[in-house]
Amino acid sequence: MNSIEEKLWNYIDGNCTADEQNTIAMLIEQDEVYRKKYSELLQLNSEFAAMELDEPSMAFSYNVMETIRTEHAKQPLKAAVDKRIIMGIAAFFVLTLSALVIYMFSSVNWSAGSGVQIPEQLNIQVPHVNTFFTGPVVKAFLFFDLVMGLFLLDHYLRRKTTAKEQ
Amino acid sequence: MQSKLSDIELIEQTLGGNQSAYADLVKRHQRFVFTLALRFAKSREDAEEIAQDCFIKAYRSLSSFQQQSKFSTWLYSIVYTTAMTFLRKRRLDTSSIDDDESYIQIENKPSGYDEYNVENKSRSYYINQAIEQLLPDDATIITMFYKGEQSLEEIAQAMGIEANTVKVKLFRARQRLKERLERNLKHEVNELI
Repeated sequence: MNSIEEKLWNYIDGNCTADEQNTIAMLIEQDEVYRKKYSELLQLNSEFAAMELDEPSMAFSYNVMETIRTEHAKQPLKAAVDKRIIMGIAAFFVLTLSALVIYMFSSVNWSAGSGVQIPEQLNIQVPHVNTFFTGPVVKAFLFFDLVMGLFLLDHYLRRKTTAKEQ
Repeated sequence: MQSKLSDIELIEQTLGGNQSAYADLVKRHQRFVFTLALRFAKSREDAEEIAQDCFIKAYRSLSSFQQQSKFSTWLYSIVYTTAMTFLRKRRLDTSSIDDDESYIQIENKPSGYDEYNVENKSRSYYINQAIEQLLPDDATIITMFYKGEQSLEEIAQAMGIEANTVKVKLFRARQRLKERLERNLKHEVNELI
């Protein structure tokens, strides 16, 4: 069961039903204990409401804005880009490519290639593959791959660390 | 002079790239955010650090603010989380208020403290003093309710608890504040006699 104080606080805060409100109002009017407690709590309530807020230092907002400026804090605002713009650009490219393909197929002379004869023996000399993959070339290629791999791994780890810190 | 635009309008301008709109938001809410931080930190330096951290976090996640609640409620939830993390890090004493050993020392007392007397100290001075002696959760609920223009539901949202729990906590916090206020005033009177 609620204490008198609890009931009165609910009444002051307006956190009770209309029926409860009427009952408590009547009790305040008729009961001396309720009346005294009510005026005491009412005074406390107005005193609590009059408490003062503390003031930060003069440079507070300047410091906040300076930190924001120097931390590239605008990065998360990328999410604010309207998706319709992206969809519009995608639609433009799809339409352009489709139009090009349709135009290409419609302008092909399908019977033009029927008279062409392929010679039975083609005398094309393809260089041997092994000539390109001599020892030093392969080593240089693998070394380059390794360096690129390490560079990309370093880049990826740095980005991950930065994202974690934020 | 602060902007007369609403919080939502200032947020939209900020998202549009206008940083000075965010500066206006900071100026509008800085006193309350700082006071809330002070309820946890008890030193002005730490409170300023917490408050600054909150505004920076809020700026970074501004685009994710859904506008389903007031900006202030959303901001206070950031303050509460940040301040709780701060408390956990500092491992401040959070034992029962009934224990006389658990008095939290008040820093930044005005100079010439002893020269004050009951007559020339305002009632609000005693209220602020008593609030500083409460547990952070009690002090936060009272501050949010009376100065943050937050309903019980909004306080619950900011603190991540049920509205009914806030109602009970608010009732107890007010009782403790009243007791503390009476004890402090009695102590002052006894010192004078």
